[in-house]
Amino acid sequence: MTSKFSSVFLAATLAFATLLAGCSKAPTEADLNLATAKAKADQCVEPESVIRTKHMDLLMHQRDATMIEGIRTKQHSLKECINCHVSTTKQDGTPLHYGDKEHFCTTCHAAVGQKIDCFQCHADRPQTDDPNYQHTVGSTAGHHFTQGVTAAAAPTAAEVQMVTQPQQGAAK
Amino acid sequence: MNQNRVDEYRRNFMTTLGGVAAVAAVVPSFVLQTAHAAGEVAAKPVDQAVTNAKRWGMLIDVTKLTDGGAGMVAACKKEHGWGDEAHSADTQKAHWARVVKVTDKLTQNSFSLPVMCQHCENPPCVDVCPTGASMKRADGIVQVNKHICIGCRYCMMACPYKARSFVHEALQDQKPHSPRGMGTVESCNMCVHRIDAGKLPACVEAAPDAVIFGDLNDPNSAVSQAMKTIGGKQIRADLGLNTGVRYHGI
Repeated sequence: MTSKFSSVFLAATLAFATLLAGCSKAPTEADLNLATAKAKADQCVEPESVIRTKHMDLLMHQRDATMIEGIRTKQHSLKECINCHVSTTKQDGTPLHYGDKEHFCTTCHAAVGQKIDCFQCHADRPQTDDPNYQHTVGSTAGHHFTQGVTAAAAPTAAEVQMVTQPQQGAAK
Repeated sequence: MNQNRVDEYRRNFMTTLGGVAAVAAVVPSFVLQTAHAAGEVAAKPVDQAVTNAKRWGMLIDVTKLTDGGAGMVAACKKEHGWGDEAHSADTQKAHWARVVKVTDKLTQNSFSLPVMCQHCENPPCVDVCPTGASMKRADGIVQVNKHICIGCRYCMMACPYKARSFVHEALQDQKPHSPRGMGTVESCNMCVHRIDAGKLPACVEAAPDAVIFGDLNDPNSAVSQAMKTIGGKQIRADLGLNTGVRYHGI
């Protein structure tokens, strides 16, 4: 009985230690050059806390309004999120896709282990020849995570794979 | 002697062709400009829902389509980015619009016309859809809500115009205004994003001399007036679907 208890305790401790190790791997604010991101957060369509917790609900509501009723307001439009937050290319000039670790959506979604379905159909980067397509912060200010983030612990290939690949079989 | 005769023939032919082109360039553009002045596609306020006050439709004059509609199809491809599915067989590739050649077996008289979603008032594709993804918008535009499409393809079977197609492969770099993805059915949506912005559909812009676009509910709109004057036939009118796309010269 006692030995069984101790083995359970040992397993729990191990699990906790693994969890801690995982946490320490996640990027801290010190790792990230968040100046651009914070400047943009002030100009975002909703407060940062609302965006973090409710962006999926806002997008879900907007998609039905647009699709069924033809309401095309820009405030909660996925296209406008992309236009402001995602760069057209990576730093080396190649096209940026949501399977890349620099993609604004993928950085967080990989960290929380949440697959993104949007970009199986929707464009995952702005497609425009106009260099000033961005909102008021301006293209010279750069984008979240695409520029200036070098010290951050990037999502691993497996994490990115998890975000982009459709899961086979039943949902977890 | 022989050579001269050919040249004479060629000269006559080119003169006639030039004359026809000139007439075609002057007259219908006048009609279309009138249509613009009448606010055929007035920009809708972005925050307001579409209503059934309008019903969008078009009249395609096949006799004025010199290329049989190939230019319209090309414009659609360019606008929505379909048709370049690298891993799909030809029979699987998307076709939002296609050129259909019709030949009378008795007389061998032949002509081509562009066929796309006819935007029926009573669409069979909407009837059969198990999820409600195949839908008719209040202003008469029939489209697929790909968010809830499960890719069962019943609508493809139900459509008498073969207007719908299925995406068989993963896609990348779709147009921001026209999302397309694997596992969903798609078809002409009358360039709904352009109409909402107060612009004409891409195919109408590509063939301004042959197509008149507008509000079928308004008896004074250019398209209604044109249909009143020259008529507008439905393909498979016997099905009683009351299509929004009508043809002249078929």
